[in-house]
Amino acid sequence: MIRIRDFAVTGLAAAILAFAAATADAKDKVKVGFIGPLTGGVSANGLGGRNSADLAVRLRDADPKAKYQYEMIALDDECKPNVAVQVATKMASDQEMIAAATHYCSATAIATVDVYHKFGFPVIVWGAVLPDITYRNKYPEIHRVNGTMINQNDANAALISKLGFKTVAVIHDTTDYGKGHNKYFSEALARIGTAKIVGTFGVTSDQQDFTAELTQIKALNPDVIYFGGLTPIGVRIRQQMDKLGINAVFDGTSGIVSDAYIQGLGPLAEGTLAFREGAPTEKLPGGKSFLANYNEQKYDNPPEAYGAFAYAAMNMILDSIEKVGPDRKKVIADLGDVKDRDSIIGKITFDDHGQNTVAVITNYVVQDGKFVEWDDSEYASGKRELPRQK
Amino acid sequence: MNASKPKAETAKDGAPLWPGLTALAIATLYLIALLAAERQTSIIFLLILAIAAVATAAWFRLLAGVSRSFGDHEDALGRCAIVAALAVAAFFHSEPFALLLFTTVLVYSLATLGLNIQFGYAGILNFAGASFFGIGAYTSAVLAGGVVPDLFVLTIGGLLAALAGSLLLLPVLRTRGHYAAVVTIAFALLFRTFLEVNDVLGGPQGMPVKGMRILNWSFNDNIDAGPISLSFYMNYFIASLILLVAAFILVRRLERSWIGLNLDALRLDETAASCFGLDVARWKITAFLIGNVVIGIAGALFGMVGGFVAPNNYTFADSLILVSILLLGGIGNPWGIVVATVIVVIVPEKLQVIQEYRFLLYAMMVIAVLLFRPEGLLPRPVRRYFPAWRP
Amino acid sequence: MDAGLFAQYVMNGLMLGMMYALVAVGFTLFFGVLDVIQFSHGDVLTVGAFTALAAYAGLVTFGIQSQWLNLIILLVLAVLTMAALGMAVARYLVMPLRGAPALNTLLITLMLGTVLRESVRLFYPQGANPKHFPVLLPQSSINLGHFNLRLDNAVMLAAGATAIVGLQLLLNRTKLGLAIRAVAQDEETARTMGINFTAIVLLTFAIGSGLAAFAGIMNGLYYNEINFDIGLYLGVIGFAAAIIGGLGSIYGAILGGFLFAGLQTVGSVLLPFASAYKDVFAFAVVIAIMAWRPTGLIREKISERV
Repeated sequence: MIRIRDFAVTGLAAAILAFAAATADAKDKVKVGFIGPLTGGVSANGLGGRNSADLAVRLRDADPKAKYQYEMIALDDECKPNVAVQVATKMASDQEMIAAATHYCSATAIATVDVYHKFGFPVIVWGAVLPDITYRNKYPEIHRVNGTMINQNDANAALISKLGFKTVAVIHDTTDYGKGHNKYFSEALARIGTAKIVGTFGVTSDQQDFTAELTQIKALNPDVIYFGGLTPIGVRIRQQMDKLGINAVFDGTSGIVSDAYIQGLGPLAEGTLAFREGAPTEKLPGGKSFLANYNEQKYDNPPEAYGAFAYAAMNMILDSIEKVGPDRKKVIADLGDVKDRDSIIGKITFDDHGQNTVAVITNYVVQDGKFVEWDDSEYASGKRELPRQK
Repeated sequence: MNASKPKAETAKDGAPLWPGLTALAIATLYLIALLAAERQTSIIFLLILAIAAVATAAWFRLLAGVSRSFGDHEDALGRCAIVAALAVAAFFHSEPFALLLFTTVLVYSLATLGLNIQFGYAGILNFAGASFFGIGAYTSAVLAGGVVPDLFVLTIGGLLAALAGSLLLLPVLRTRGHYAAVVTIAFALLFRTFLEVNDVLGGPQGMPVKGMRILNWSFNDNIDAGPISLSFYMNYFIASLILLVAAFILVRRLERSWIGLNLDALRLDETAASCFGLDVARWKITAFLIGNVVIGIAGALFGMVGGFVAPNNYTFADSLILVSILLLGGIGNPWGIVVATVIVVIVPEKLQVIQEYRFLLYAMMVIAVLLFRPEGLLPRPVRRYFPAWRP
Repeated sequence: MDAGLFAQYVMNGLMLGMMYALVAVGFTLFFGVLDVIQFSHGDVLTVGAFTALAAYAGLVTFGIQSQWLNLIILLVLAVLTMAALGMAVARYLVMPLRGAPALNTLLITLMLGTVLRESVRLFYPQGANPKHFPVLLPQSSINLGHFNLRLDNAVMLAAGATAIVGLQLLLNRTKLGLAIRAVAQDEETARTMGINFTAIVLLTFAIGSGLAAFAGIMNGLYYNEINFDIGLYLGVIGFAAAIIGGLGSIYGAILGGFLFAGLQTVGSVLLPFASAYKDVFAFAVVIAIMAWRPTGLIREKISERV
């Protein structure tokens, strides 16, 4: 019996060998990469970014004028720095990979800059907002098309002060992302001077129970709770605020601008503030055509807040390879000299650290289950009021 | 009275060398093929081929011959294995990722050898293997590239791991069985949480680790020797190979010596061992600390290889992976550990389709092993009390 | 610290303690009956919570609106399913290994826990993301100064207490309980007395796993969220709590559960700058207690055959 089974297995193996030999190598493709959080609490953003980058590659492959055929390899960084370093090493050490659009989570992006520099692998960041990513070192490999968190925190502090709130409690996560938000928001608020921070609390990015911090915050009685972190714990904090009977404005950053935030909270999301650099996707210069093309492909997930940036980043990579050929060093040289290049998010110029400037900041408030621009909302016109608004 | 001593037969009268040599050669070629294969179909084919080959060999009773050959000619075959490893590395001299995978296998084998001393020989349950690995890695992160020469950093990593282990000594010594397990599990969880909330060592963001430098030779630079360009991972590969060989020899000598005998007695029956005058506490402490030193050194080296440390690299789940490797390979058998590490590290990396499922698959494999073959893939052979004795 | 704040902390501690106690009691039951630590207990809790979530999705599509009815159906369904799972685990994984060294059983249950956790993560749709758990208890609350007394917390505490008291009554006043205690005390003699060993073991596992499902639903209702990782954390804490209280003693398990929650709450009050340190504090105390009293606070009478 065993003998027959052995022969069957060997026969099967031979068949597979024949099949493998028969499918001869396809024609040469240029490999480009994408890294984002494809699983985990912020996967909606990662999948939106991946689909957008994939859209760029598909449109380019369908273009008869393109010199090369492109293949995009997407890897998952799970929004964890250690996983990000592993996948970044894997991608960068593959000599056939020319360039990549990388990272939504700032914690992962800042951890991997050294890896890309070590391997001389050019990348364009599409979603991470921590300034240090491009400004801590002057690595020629690292570029970024979206803005940094400095401007959004300036706008945040300005709105809070304008609305007359006086006391703010800060909750931030302990990764570099949350710490960055804490730093820039505190500085911006202090510069305006009309509101003050009554307490600062650091929480881990996968923390479940916030009753300890929130009980202390309840005792401090602030008008606003500022939250520097991502959607998963944003949802939990807002829930538990309600459970403890805390009546304050929940003020978040670009980290919570996501459909997952609203789905997780339902009616509790009403009245949340959030800020993001860049105009809403429909209002970008190339936004409408991007959305039209995106919807045509019928992806499972929407592009989310940063899909347009992922698309622009991948397009820039493809343009560069078309211009100088599939060679890492030449692509780095080309990306070192970017001035006023056209893209769907407007004209892109990289400064000497590879950073693009995005001037527009959008202020959002959650109204009736959707992120609505502040100026268009009923809160700005006075028809509805935020908690504790005078 | 004249007691006649058994004639010391020489190893030449024992099993022939060629079965072991052939097996080693086949294994080397297979490893090269596996590391080089790119397409998923080729990899699946290779895996099926391996399973079929092993099943056929078992059916024709060839495996017993191989293990006898290994048993008798271990030193010679060990040297051949080193040559084989160098051959594999030479084949991939300019492919960084394949070299990185192979180096990872070597370092994980090193760490599991340390665990083997604790678990396999002395019977001390250690579910915090990844934490001691992490202590070594964080030592590298803090000290590498600074005043202390990098080779000493490795040693210090090992010593710090042992020091941390000594914090657990009192609970580990006083507890048995399940309770001992709780102590190390609690430590594993405590360690990761401590690193995460603590900003001094980088917090959840982790810390970069500078590459190794020995006397002006930087391990992080590619080696260009004339027309040949070697990936910089070759440096780390040679370093980990040297350490693994050293640890392997240490573990083998330990096992065969009176120390190993004491540890085995301790593991098999503590009460009886103490009746015979063995100082149970002393030997448990020795085994635990030596094991931790080895694990710490492995961690320190791997920190430099990867260039990055973060609390999420050293969780309880990672400790369970080390334990799985040990169980899968066969508790107490160093060769089994190397084979199991190859399976656990390389196969999921190569076979993309199972990458996401790899924790699930490890756990299911270990459950299968525990239910049907608790000795593991390569069970530990019976101890040879006399040089020429055959079981 | 004023009275309201203190009361809030006490309430937080009580809720946590109740959940830990429910898990710890399960561990103690399994150990008492079979001398085995079922490390997958925490992950059975996770599976129970996800079963409840899936059942809720089903109920919603059937259009059943009443919250109380939904809650009861969820509870019954999750508890029964987990009881079945517990019995299957006992029958196919734990009992066959009774002859093997205890280490093997420990390892197999650890691995089973991993299998359960990973299965939820991989096979439940979008299992890796945290999932919103429906609101099924009345949300009204009374604000007494800094203390927010919520009706749903009170209901959960009462339900948890009822479950534990019910278990005590089962063990001490019924024939089944008598049989369980007999098997826990001395397996051979119990068999000689005509008690069906296998049936009792399976029933004990069923009860313990059912309690885990109950704790899982409580967890979901308290945080309004579940994810695939909660089992690992709660399982280890429940285990540590059972150990602190002394394995094999139900009172010890309950004591251990509340003690552990108390340690965490005290830790978070004393170290206000990072409440995450409370876990480090609590685990360190567990290790210290193990060093001082190796078999737990309520000593276990071990006798070993030499």
